[in-house]
Parts: sequence; C-alpha cells; structure tokens
Amino acid sequence: MAVKTIGAFKRLLTGCGAVAHGVRLSDVDVISTYPIRPYTGIMSELARMIADGELVAEYLHAAGEHDQLSVVYGACAAGARAFTGSSGVGVTYAGELYSPISGERLPLQMAIADRTLDPPGDFGEEHTDALTFRNQGWIMGWASTPQEALDNTIFLYRLGEDPRVVLPQFNCQDGYFVSHIADEVEVYDEKRVKEWLPPFKPLHKLDPRAPESLGPQISPPSGPAMQHQRKLAFENVRKAIPELTESFNKAFGRHYANWLDEYMTDDAEVVFVVSGAHALTAQTVAKKLRHLGEKVGVIRLRWVRPFPTLELRESLSRFKAVGVIDTNVDFGCPVGAGVLTSEVRAACFGLEKTKIVGFVAGLGGEVVSREEFYHMTHKLQVVARTGKVEKEAYWLPFDLKM
Amino acid sequence: MAQILEEIKGIKNVPQDQMMVPGHRTCAGCGPALVYKLVAQAAGPNSIFIGPTGCMYVANTSYGCTPWKIPWIHAQITNGGGVAAGIEAAYKMFEKKRGDGIKPNVIVMWGDGGATDIGLTSLSGAIYRNHDVLFVCYDNESYANTGVQTSPTTPYGAWTTFTPSGPAIPEGKVLWPKDNPKLVAGGHPNLRYLATASPAFAIDLMNKVRKGCNAQGPAYIHLHAPCPKGWNFPAKDTIEMAKLAVDTGMYLLYEIENGQMKVTYKPRKRRPVADYMRLQGRFSHLQPEHFAKMQEWADKRAQELGLPAVLPPTE
Repeated sequence: MAVKTIGAFKRLLTGCGAVAHGVRLSDVDVISTYPIRPYTGIMSELARMIADGELVAEYLHAAGEHDQLSVVYGACAAGARAFTGSSGVGVTYAGELYSPISGERLPLQMAIADRTLDPPGDFGEEHTDALTFRNQGWIMGWASTPQEALDNTIFLYRLGEDPRVVLPQFNCQDGYFVSHIADEVEVYDEKRVKEWLPPFKPLHKLDPRAPESLGPQISPPSGPAMQHQRKLAFENVRKAIPELTESFNKAFGRHYANWLDEYMTDDAEVVFVVSGAHALTAQTVAKKLRHLGEKVGVIRLRWVRPFPTLELRESLSRFKAVGVIDTNVDFGCPVGAGVLTSEVRAACFGLEKTKIVGFVAGLGGEVVSREEFYHMTHKLQVVARTGKVEKEAYWLPFDLKM
Repeated sequence: MAQILEEIKGIKNVPQDQMMVPGHRTCAGCGPALVYKLVAQAAGPNSIFIGPTGCMYVANTSYGCTPWKIPWIHAQITNGGGVAAGIEAAYKMFEKKRGDGIKPNVIVMWGDGGATDIGLTSLSGAIYRNHDVLFVCYDNESYANTGVQTSPTTPYGAWTTFTPSGPAIPEGKVLWPKDNPKLVAGGHPNLRYLATASPAFAIDLMNKVRKGCNAQGPAYIHLHAPCPKGWNFPAKDTIEMAKLAVDTGMYLLYEIENGQMKVTYKPRKRRPVADYMRLQGRFSHLQPEHFAKMQEWADKRAQELGLPAVLPPTE
C-alpha cells in the first residue's frame, strides 16, 4: 500500500497536531488509542492521516489505557515501532505496565499531554500524572512548544532504540498550554527524517524463526543484576543525549540545548528552574525585568529522566537564589513543595551559596501568571541579598499574597 | 499466508514434535502443565505463546530453564488480550509494509483468574476488535499459584483459603461459578470459534486447538485442568478426575462453529456429581444438602445441552 507523500511544510499546529506529524514521520507500525482529554487530538489526527492514506499503521481502539499499553507492549516485542498516549487518570490507570515495558526493554513511545488527576479532575494540566511514574525506567522530558513536541517524538524514538539504551519514552507536553495552542511548526520531509531515524531493529523479538522466551520469572538471586541493567541503560542515556542532540540539531537546523535551556542566565542573580511551557512565561518576565535592571534568568529542564544532576549542579552553583516551579503535587514530600524542588535540592546538595526555594504553582491547570512570577522574583531577590531562606516552600497563591 | 493445521485423525497421527520440553517445574500431576503441552504440540512451531501471570508463568517459566521451543512472552495476569493483539497487529503490519511472508498462530494461555476475572476486559476487547488470536483459558478453578484462593470458576461448596468452611459458613464457597464460555459466546459477534475441552479427551482437545488456530479470527477455548494441590486429590488421578468431571456433567464438552453449537461428547450414562466430588478434599466438608444443590445445578446445565439424566436419583 503506497503512502501519500506530504513533503516539508510550515504551518500553525497545536502540540497534539505536531506530535501526530512526528509519529507519521517516524513511520510507526502500531498505534493504540483510548480517548481522554487533552491528548486525544493526537490520536484523532493520526486517524485522519490513516484514513487519508498519509500513514500506514495498525490503529487499535483499546479497551482502556491499561489495554493501550498492553497492545504496544506486544507490538514492540514483535519488532514493531509502536506509539500510544494518554493524559491524567488515563496515565495512572495504565500504571501496571510501565515497569514491565521498561524491564522487557521495549523502546516504545507514549505521548502524555498532562492533566490533573482526580480530584480536582478538571481538564487543566499538572505534571503530576507523568511524574508519578518517574521511577519506572522510562526516559521522560517536556516540550515547551509544538515544534519541540514534534522534534521530541522523532528524537525520542532514535534515543530509545539506540542499542546502548533500549528504553521506552514518555514524550510529555503541557495539556492545553502546548497541546491546544497553535504555533508555527516546521514539518520535515519524510526522506530527511528516514535518514536520521532508521527503521527499528530490535535485539530480541518474538519470531517463530528464532524462538526466544521474553520475560521469564527470575528468582531473587537474579534480581539485583536485572535491575542494575536498567540503571546502566540510564547511564548510557546520559551519554547518548548530548551526542544525539548535536546530531539532531545539525540534521534539522535546530538549536536545542542538551539538558538545560538557559535564558538570560549569564550574569543573573536569581533564576527560575522550570520544565515545560511555563518556562515561556518565566522568560517573558525575565526579559521585562531586565529592562528594569533586575538580573533574572530562566533554566528550563528538557529532560527529567534521566535527571540532569551534574549539569544542573554546575549551572546553579553560579547563582545566589534559585526558585523551582513545581506544577505537580507530592503531598508530604521532604521540602513541602513538589517533585522538582526535592530533586533540584538533592542535585545541589552541599552547594553552600546557592539557596533553593520551591514554588507550587499552576495547580489544576491554573495559569502561572506574570504577576506571580514578579512576586516570586521579589522573594528570591530578598534571599539573594540576605543569604537567608525565610521559607523553603510556597504554595501559590496562598503563601504569596498579591 | 496462514498455515492450515490439519485434523489429527487418531493417536498414531499426533505430531511427535514437542513444543514444551523439559525445564518446567510444576507439581506432580499438574493439569495445566498437561493441557499446555497438548496445546503447544497441536499448534506446532509456527506459533507465538503469550503467558500471562499464573501457574504456568510462576511455576513453569523460570529464567534460565524455560521449557518453550516456540517464542514465548510474559504478560501481566491482567492483559493477555492486549499483548496478543499487539503481536498480531505487528505481524499484520510487517506483511503489509514489507511482505514478511509469515503469519504465526498467536496463542494466549491464560489461567481462570486472568481470563474470567481480572483480565476479562482485555479478553473481551481483543475478541471485539477481531484479532486473529486463539485465547485459551486453562481452568484449574482457583488462583492456585498464590496458594489456592477462590476465582470466579471455583465451584460452589469448594474449600479455598479465601472460602474456608466453618460453623457460620458450612459450605465454604457460597457463590455459583461464572460461565465464561457462555459469556464470551454471548456478546462477541466477531468470535469465529469457541470450544470447551478436557485432557481426558486429548485428541479432541488438540483438534479443537487446531480449529482455533485455523479460525482466521478470534477463537476461545476453555480447558478443564484439574489441580491435585488445590483440589486435594492424589497426583496420579488427574486424568481420572478430568474424565469424571465430564461423566458427571460437572464439565461439559461442546464447540460453537459458525454460530452453531454442537455437543462434542455425550456420556452414555451421566453419573451423580457426588462420584466426582467425594474424591476431592476441597469438598470433604460438605453435607448431603450441599451435594443435592450441586446435583441440581449440574442437572440444569446438562439439560440445556441435552445430556442424559442421572439415574438413579442422587443421595
């Protein structure tokens, strides 16, 4: 069956639309779907592409997210390039499958357009859904624009399928702020992508011509070695990301940082650490404050797993005060903010001069406003000037009255 | 092209190639291991097996010594249907995109806890979507590898560690079992083939597996798999127990092909259920009124299929 060639073009696309084009360009074989807002747009766009002959792929209507992840588990084990996705409680409903998929070393991809869990269960976004599974052996990173969402789709397949790595990938984007807002996106020519992303060649697969048993039960003495292999694979991801980012930038004319997207940090006194689309608001605020002579910078984490520990530690050692934006909940966590604050503090353990403050903001899909960023900046400036942390974690808006 | 598996006519024509070879380590007399061997032997080398968690994973598929000569993959107890669907879809796409030229039998070997309880959504979803997959439920009537707990197919009156008998609940299990073949047959218009089978009728079992593989669409086979450990009977009596289940009408053998139901074995005389139940420790606490209730249940089911009545009336 011939595939209709689309060629390269530039067009306004939402984050969902952009990922769908990333999937098309990655020549995915098997897709499993189940509807939930806000990621659904990816799957309806893929359905359209298949109906219009732009993509040839098996498109399965799963019986739920658990079934979705099961389908791609089987497909990838048979040697197919497989794609699935979800949001919010859909991500948690599939929870049983994440460890088996990374444990079987199946490099499939799951797009997540974040949504709050229940409650509040509104349609708004929080990173809680994806971050809940940060320890399951999946590569995890956030796109901040539709363009980056498309690029990450292609990039993550190449990274995950790299023989040194062989791990599944969470391709995350903020629900609504990226998934539903259109931006100009450069969609590449099929051939150019094919050259950079060769067909998936699994090391092990289910094939009657060469039988193998995948996933037999191990006994406790084999446990440490098996878990250790996933740890080693993650160390290889650390090596592969800089190499492949350079190669990707060269092939597609982009300028992605390996780990930390730094904005106006050169002589900054205080910086924000953030992942995903709220970084763009932070950047706008930083630029505005620069006009007023305030030295504010922004560091956006491109990847959360593996966590850029050394890179972040080195970078943050330059600043007096760091504000970490947590758009997630982690009730009862060490610092009293969210996941990122705890992790940034762990990465910076022992850095005496760098004071770290956590800000829980934008919960339930609320915007993190410019006004809030101004107020947070002010708090950080006080910390930078006095060298004293009055309060380690702020829940917005309650702890930061405007 | 799908390979068509021919009918096995008589014991002399049973394929000699074993697909389940030494390496397994189930209990002596294990019914599930016996039926698994027969299913794999009937399906042959052009097959991929999916093994959701259950006895045949925990006791039968150990790292470093798995008994499988065919490709085998572990699935969760919850998701045999989805995993099989993904494998089938992948092979369909390989054929479409690059003409791979092979079409393996995709077979799920699921325990009753998986196929009738926690994985029912996954089973139903895959049959609904019309995947060319054979779903086999090996029914040992309990969650056995976890130490024998009740499942939806555990019979009324059976002792399990979750349904002990005591002064307040003398019969142990009080619920009546779920009829999974009926459930599967009743609501899935895409289902091509359905059968029940028993290791006491080995060639019939193997031919039903072959029909399931040849069905070119979803097929479901429910296999009776007596469990010496969970049912508490001597390990040498597994086949005898399977035969008695059929002869008493506790287990019914039939198939549904192209929507037509056919009873594939009718005992000439149906024996009272007590003849079967009295040989198993799991029923040893039952009183005559409990046996009578069970007889009534078996009679009703046998009548539906047109099996002979039990004479003389039971105790």
